[in-house]
Amino acid sequence: MTNDEIESTNASSAAVLTVSIGDIRIALISHEPDLRLEVQRATKRFLVDNDDDADVIVRAGWGELHDPAAGNQTFDSGSVWRLYRQNSNHLFRFTSPAFGTLPYKQACFSSDFTSGDIVLHRDYFDHRQPVDALEYPLDELLMMNLLTLGRGVEVHACGVEDSDGRGYLFVGQSGAGKTTTARLWHKARGIQVLSDDRIILRCLEGSIWMYGTPWHGEAELAYSTRTPLTQIFFLGRGESNEVVPVRPAEAVARLMASSFVPFYNCSALDHALEFFEHVTEAVPCGELRFAPDERVLEFVRGYTHE
Amino acid sequence: MNDRLQQEPQRTKKAYSKPELVQVPLRPEEAVLGHCKMGSVIGPGGSSNCMPVAACFTLGS
Repeated sequence: MTNDEIESTNASSAAVLTVSIGDIRIALISHEPDLRLEVQRATKRFLVDNDDDADVIVRAGWGELHDPAAGNQTFDSGSVWRLYRQNSNHLFRFTSPAFGTLPYKQACFSSDFTSGDIVLHRDYFDHRQPVDALEYPLDELLMMNLLTLGRGVEVHACGVEDSDGRGYLFVGQSGAGKTTTARLWHKARGIQVLSDDRIILRCLEGSIWMYGTPWHGEAELAYSTRTPLTQIFFLGRGESNEVVPVRPAEAVARLMASSFVPFYNCSALDHALEFFEHVTEAVPCGELRFAPDERVLEFVRGYTHE
Repeated sequence: MNDRLQQEPQRTKKAYSKPELVQVPLRPEEAVLGHCKMGSVIGPGGSSNCMPVAACFTLGS
């Protein structure tokens, strides 16, 4: 389906939902009369008007899914999804112990991930209810692949826009203190926490931008705005607040270890490494060891204004 | 040769620092989007509770 088809779909009875995440527009389309589409929770904040400017078009429909998948398995996540290669296409299959070995959903994308088809296993769904066909983790898998085709990288981080427009990125794996950090900043006046858990980084118009995403953490902070990145902090625990310098090579390694990239794809890894090298050259990095109270806000402001 | 050396400006030698190996841990289960996001359930019935939902394998944020 092309963008012309979206236009004609808008005029027909088919359902279209468009989300914009990291300035990448994904149109989700259903032509089935009994398949009502929805997006859930924080993703609703990323809904935009349907138009013919979508970067990615994904069709959703009912079907019967069988085992095994056609194609060669590329990767097994160890949980709900597996990836297969079908000629030049990428096929994701989603299974659950609740439904046995047959997938409840599959999604097949073109080599550049700009076009895809989702098949929902008919018998597993209640047709009276709307369906989130792009439901996590498919939405994030799609975005991860789109980004690492040269557009940017998604990182495990909390992103904050200070009242003066400065953008701080607090990077860390689970348990590093992202939620604590997000809550401390969220309480302060004039602050926008873009996300407490997942940030998209892109280099556009000569600047490094950070974008909020729908995939929030415990603090449930997820906003569809962007801000220029001023400073990167790797989160660490401390008794008082201090910033420890991090060498460029280590900064790249730490960003890689906290990023969401298709680790089974060499060219995506190349892109991520080059991207992080550029980011760490353009933006100062340090390890922030902090005590979890509001004094860290003034410390960070003072440090970044030095 | 000596003349040329004398003409070159004095360069200060950078202090030698022993190479260090820094290990950065990777958490595969987080990196491959293998866990459930906070507050989410995966699979059919996740929003309606009319059908069984997929079990979360691990929780993470």
